[in-house]
Amino acid sequence: MSILGRLLRGEDLHSLAAPYALDALEPGERRRFEKHLAGCDRCAAEVRDLAEDAVRLAFSAAAPAPAALRDRVLAAVRTTPQEPAQAGRRAVGQERPPAGQGARRLPPHVWGVQPPPGHTRTPRTRPLFVPFATATAAAALVVASLFAVQAHRTGDRLAAEQARAREIAHVLAASDARAARGEDARGRSIGVIASASEREAVVTLSGYGTPPGGRVHQLWLMRPRAQPRSLGLLAGDTPLVAKGIDTSSTSLAVTVEPDGGSAQPTSQPIVQLTLKSVGFGE
Amino acid sequence: MQADELLVLVAGGDQRAFEELYGLVSGPVYGLVRRVVRDPAQSEEVAQEVLLELWRSAARFDPGRGSALSWILTLAHRRAVDRVRSARAAGEREQREALRAEEPAFDQVAEEVEAGLEREWVRRCLNRLTALQRQSVTLAYYDGYTYREVAERLSLPLGTVKTRMRDGLTRLRQCLGGAA
Repeated sequence: MSILGRLLRGEDLHSLAAPYALDALEPGERRRFEKHLAGCDRCAAEVRDLAEDAVRLAFSAAAPAPAALRDRVLAAVRTTPQEPAQAGRRAVGQERPPAGQGARRLPPHVWGVQPPPGHTRTPRTRPLFVPFATATAAAALVVASLFAVQAHRTGDRLAAEQARAREIAHVLAASDARAARGEDARGRSIGVIASASEREAVVTLSGYGTPPGGRVHQLWLMRPRAQPRSLGLLAGDTPLVAKGIDTSSTSLAVTVEPDGGSAQPTSQPIVQLTLKSVGFGE
Repeated sequence: MQADELLVLVAGGDQRAFEELYGLVSGPVYGLVRRVVRDPAQSEEVAQEVLLELWRSAARFDPGRGSALSWILTLAHRRAVDRVRSARAAGEREQREALRAEEPAFDQVAEEVEAGLEREWVRRCLNRLTALQRQSVTLAYYDGYTYREVAERLSLPLGTVKTRMRDGLTRLRQCLGGAA
């Protein structure tokens, strides 16, 4: 390109400072201009001034935010991890890293299926890949149902349920969150959404009802060369959030135990689900 | 405490500081997003994303490049404009857009919200711009149009629109002067 051409092009880019400050560039132009900004002190200074002018326009639009927004944002902040300080600084409002990979979009979920021992259903030999939207919709349903339940709760119980909803949201938001589900011939199922990096899992049981005689369903974590570890009691189909799961764990198991649960399983599992497909057991 | 100091604390994971920062910036952030996005439910959604992004990305704020408020509102504006453009691309707004008067909505919208001192100042100063300067600035900033779209709507050459935008902002600065 000729010197004149380059000059003209530079001049042209420079004239984009005002549209840039007003966010009035198309994405491609915006990127080109930001590249240009990095090596043009004069433009950077001008953009800084123009951006401050634009902010005056912003201020004149201030309006009280809805109270519910405050509650939601502050609750989310308690469970949202921050970017590390050394992430590198960027120009004002510069393109953020693709948010899709982060908090907002979960990676494709893998539904691994393993039938519980002693049942006749033909085992599936490989995991099924389901569309992302399906898995996310299912997860959203879990959260939505939790909030629906809250309408009938008060005080401490409500606080506890909200805390659990946040914990569940936290697992769902992990970049490596994956889901697995096992179903037996009678349509009863166990579902798990787990994150190996967070070492957390959300477990739900469906169709098993409540064991007779005041007994309970207890969830166990199976690990190689170790005793099963209790992850707690499952009440009906209410999701259970399990934390601190060893990455070497191989499967989840549910047994029927006397009221209050047991220190170690006292019966054969009624259902078991491998954790391999959700990133554990490596 | 000022937003600048608070943002530094927030970058260090201080939730109290975030609450305080929320008190300072939620009104300007929500109001701006609402002005651009218009739909209340969508505005709330975008404002929530922005405020959470402040928490997540506080460490990216560089005081050497401008004020915290400028950084925050620039972020809010960017997200609001992104939302409006994708909605427009999806054709959702086309009909409503067509129903609106050709004159940019700045007067009409300004009437909807209660008048504050800053708003009065800005309003007065916007009125001192030439019609083309004002329209170029407000169509872009409050309605989320690119300068190409603004040029099309006002039937002006691209170069003229860029100049009007720059002159408009500069005159606005002169008019607002010490009122910061």
